[in-house]
Amino acid sequence: MPEQSVLIVGGGPAGMEAARGVADLGYKAILVEKRSRLGGTPDEAHYAALTPDFRSAEEAMKEMADAVQNHPNVELHLNSTVTAASGSVGDFEITLKNAKGSEKVKAGAVIIATGFTHFDPGRETQQYGYYEFDDVITLVDLEKMLKAHKVVRPSNGQPPKRLCFIQCVGSRDRQIGNEYCSKVCCGIASKEAIEVRQQLPDCKVFIFYIDMRMYGYWESQIYWPAQEKYKVNYIKGIATEVLKKGDQLIVRGEDATFGRPMEVPMDIVVLSVGMEPSAGTKEMAKIFGLETNKYNFIETIGGALNTVTTSKEGVFACGACTGPADLEDSISSASAAALKAVSILRKTAQAA
Amino acid sequence: MASNKLSIDPDQIIEKEHVVQEGMDISGQWNRMFEQRVIWDYNTEMLDKVTALEGGESLGYCYQCGQCVPVCPVNLVGDYGPRKIFRRVQLGEDLFQSPLLWQCTTCMNCLRVCPKEVDMIQIMPAVRQEAVLQGYVPEELQQAFENTFDYGNPLGESPKKRAAWTKDAGVPVPIMKEKKKADVLWFVECYPSYHPRGIDASKALARVLNELGVDFGILGVEEKCTCDSQRLAGEIGLFEEFAEQNIKTMKRYKFNKILVTDPHALNALRKEYPKYGGKYEVVHYTTFLAPMLDKLNFTNKLNYKVTFHDPCYLGRHNGEFEAPRQILQALPGVELIEMFRCRENSYCCGGGGGGMWLDGFMADHVSERLSERRVREAVEVGADVLAVCCPYEVSRFEDAVKSTGNEGKLVVRDIIELVVEAMGAN
Repeated sequence: MPEQSVLIVGGGPAGMEAARGVADLGYKAILVEKRSRLGGTPDEAHYAALTPDFRSAEEAMKEMADAVQNHPNVELHLNSTVTAASGSVGDFEITLKNAKGSEKVKAGAVIIATGFTHFDPGRETQQYGYYEFDDVITLVDLEKMLKAHKVVRPSNGQPPKRLCFIQCVGSRDRQIGNEYCSKVCCGIASKEAIEVRQQLPDCKVFIFYIDMRMYGYWESQIYWPAQEKYKVNYIKGIATEVLKKGDQLIVRGEDATFGRPMEVPMDIVVLSVGMEPSAGTKEMAKIFGLETNKYNFIETIGGALNTVTTSKEGVFACGACTGPADLEDSISSASAAALKAVSILRKTAQAA
Repeated sequence: MASNKLSIDPDQIIEKEHVVQEGMDISGQWNRMFEQRVIWDYNTEMLDKVTALEGGESLGYCYQCGQCVPVCPVNLVGDYGPRKIFRRVQLGEDLFQSPLLWQCTTCMNCLRVCPKEVDMIQIMPAVRQEAVLQGYVPEELQQAFENTFDYGNPLGESPKKRAAWTKDAGVPVPIMKEKKKADVLWFVECYPSYHPRGIDASKALARVLNELGVDFGILGVEEKCTCDSQRLAGEIGLFEEFAEQNIKTMKRYKFNKILVTDPHALNALRKEYPKYGGKYEVVHYTTFLAPMLDKLNFTNKLNYKVTFHDPCYLGRHNGEFEAPRQILQALPGVELIEMFRCRENSYCCGGGGGGMWLDGFMADHVSERLSERRVREAVEVGADVLAVCCPYEVSRFEDAVKSTGNEGKLVVRDIIELVVEAMGAN
């Protein structure tokens, strides 16, 4: 009799949704998470409000976590990592490691949901000085400040009078090797811009961009309100470098619409860092022998019609481990992965 | 050269004969209005012509982010940069006949920051080569090409006198034709052989090589210009011909490495000559000397505040930022101060990519010379010596010191001149 359970790696939004889906369909979901709690990057990185609906990330992640923690069909392994895997569809054997030691578990199918990591701005080719200037921060750093309702210049603890975002840091860049668009940063920067204007109405906010990519409803949910209601200034022309004069940051660049140089004083510069595959994603690709693309994200092989099937039969992937994804994408692909994983269990059982 | 001025269609000039507005008579020319010119179409042919060239492809990659323009040295004194070039060509400007074609110094600062790798170092020579073939070349540049072709150097000096400077060098400067074999072949290049200030540096280097007991020789009258700047200015045929001749000449001698004074020669010999079968270990003199400094005896304390200008073709193009600084810091009494634009982000003297022979042309397109801008930066940081290690720079910066009225405040010295000064008279 083939195994009637699905092992899910990663307890972020995609992993939680996949586990809930499998469990709701009446199968056993074995959810493995390396941290001591569920919630993934939105929890670990202290996200404030979610994009695009501004719902509290803490509250939303708690709701998702409660749904799996209290589910009779979910077997939760916190503080655990996958260290080895063998077998094939219907009969995988996976080694889990935690503080107490190793154990082997059986599963008929596997879903990888190990997500992404934020791009490290130390690797950018421009000179934005993230590790040089205290007041140059990332979207992630600002998210944490917004959550604490304490948006201040790290250098002096004062609230900023002028704050800007620089888009596409670590994305759309051939020299860095990340030729893809990270998809979410335009929306997240605009969402954070709105939150800054809400918390600090006296702070002027600017967004320097190449192209604003606010597809679908993000246009009307975030972009238009940011510009129309919250008076965020969008300027076409990305900054080339950040300098410091006295205790003021200066953003140097070109206003590309007018073709004129600009040197704009700022109190805080926020780098809109993109997505790269997480260490866990790279590790799982190795352990399960999955094909990856040139950026080390897990490759799905079904094209536009199947976004979760990997090169290994019985192993599925969802969320941002397959490429840049927003929360909406991650939840959708997680449901698809749960469905495909359960389907393959049923087909294997019928064939046996 | 084609003018890029917008013409105004007389039909689009609105001028009403009798108008009274709010009690004010504004008849005739007082109410003259111009209707904005309508863009009827985008002539994509011009961009297609550039991107069809081998090396021109990447102009079409530009996604208009604008990161290149603020670091373009020409834009700082004019209105220029790869993004602007792309946009104008996309709007139908013929780059082959445009003044935009000749302003790029191939300094490579744009490529350093470009996320799409739009590569002006490939685009410029590719388009310029076509322009040269069609005869759209500024006259003064054409003259430099002809001098190089006729005399083997862009200065138009006699090829027989290429080694004349060695006669009063005060130390032996062996010629390979007699010596046949040496550890180090010193490729002197044109400006260090002929220009008076270049000769000063050559004599200084000759003295240091003798002091260190380096087994070296020069090609003398057999040496020809490496033509790297001519190549980047579009004379690729000339470059190839001279490369073949130099490679043939060097084949006759035995040596372990090539030493160069000129970063442009470094670039040609290191990156281009292998394509024609000349594979050598090539080192700039600063890289060569930096590890040997402890063998030199510095008896003279200099007491200078020195700032250093990174040559584009030593730094950005060939990755050497440390050796010149190591040498300067080893000289007694030298205080090294950095300018705001330094190392990877260094400014450009304006001499590269043919700029050395385009000063008259450039004067119509920039508010001041790049070298003048750089000299002002050196004065601003309080330096009294501007140290250089590229033979284009000494003459360019010395002219700029005069034209900006900074004589007496700042002097320009090749690093090797400072080394010899610190060694003292003995």
